[in-house]
Amino acid sequence: MGPGYRQDRDKSTMKKQYFSTFQVFLMTFFAVLIVVAKIALRLPIQLSGHSGIFWMAIIIVGTRVVPKKGAASFIGLMSGIISAFKGLGDFGALNTLISYTAVGVGTDIALLVLRNQENLIYASLIGMVGHFGKFLVKWAFGVISGAPVGFVALGLGKALISYIVFGALGGILGGLTIVALKKAGYFAYLAEKK
Amino acid sequence: MNQKKRILLLLGGLAAIIAVMFVVEYIRGISQANNSDGELQPGDVAIYWNGKLDLGFSAADLETLEKVTFTDKEDQKIQEGWLLKDILLNFYTNDQFSEDTVIRVSSSSRSLSATVIWDEVLNDKNFIMFDLSGRGTLKLVSVLERLDVRAEWVQDIDKIEINPQ
Repeated sequence: MGPGYRQDRDKSTMKKQYFSTFQVFLMTFFAVLIVVAKIALRLPIQLSGHSGIFWMAIIIVGTRVVPKKGAASFIGLMSGIISAFKGLGDFGALNTLISYTAVGVGTDIALLVLRNQENLIYASLIGMVGHFGKFLVKWAFGVISGAPVGFVALGLGKALISYIVFGALGGILGGLTIVALKKAGYFAYLAEKK
Repeated sequence: MNQKKRILLLLGGLAAIIAVMFVVEYIRGISQANNSDGELQPGDVAIYWNGKLDLGFSAADLETLEKVTFTDKEDQKIQEGWLLKDILLNFYTNDQFSEDTVIRVSSSSRSLSATVIWDEVLNDKNFIMFDLSGRGTLKLVSVLERLDVRAEWVQDIDKIEINPQ
């Protein structure tokens, strides 16, 4: 029994990973991109949830680059962990972690129903649902912590519309980016790398 | 399942969750109304003068006030809202306050509070103001040294206490 036998045995006993190391690297890259965008990109719009425009674009591109179920949740979770350590968000680390993760989970749920991110209508709906996940978590934390209801009600309708619109816009931006990357041959290049 | 059904399924699910949210908010409103100090509407920010509940203000009271902005030094993010001075002068007159009148802004749900004096509140350069947080509640922000970073801000404000000296 030579070294070849040992290699074969290792291969047979090794559990197959769901995400390859390369895919984990790519998803982490997208998570970092979200955090960097959140810190560095400032839109002069005083509406809550306006960051969804780049947030959802990055996540949607990420789910096309790593086309596996759970990829968006992974990106969301990673960006949540990084942001929580960075101290982002008004309501503490746990709120930040869960709300960032919720964006990914929402996107994954939408992707179960609508799989094609290149279709701009689908992409906008995926962006809308994904970004709504973040809003839902923020609202739920408000309910749990007993936040004042009246001002929440004032902000609730306005913030809800804002989150949905910017999520949809982000989805469209992500869809357009995917189309552009496809035209440039990026996905063919990526397939070779795998 | 065809495309139309998929889209309808997704939008239907979204609409159902939004409906649940508004129902929960409605129930919370009724519950808070039952627990509040009689005169207040659900969600009103209560103003106490010398320890006694004087009045409450709501979102509608802020709509007529001018908004101001500043860029916070921590995140370089634009904070936009209503000056505490403008809110208080909407209900009181300047001569009811003295320079060292103590004003305490607090959040019962988050057990946070901040204390400022009228002289500081009057100075527009301090930007002692209420900003709408991401989930639509009020938060106290400022450029005052003791209130200029996120950790020092007071979110989910529901009470202002004014104690004239």
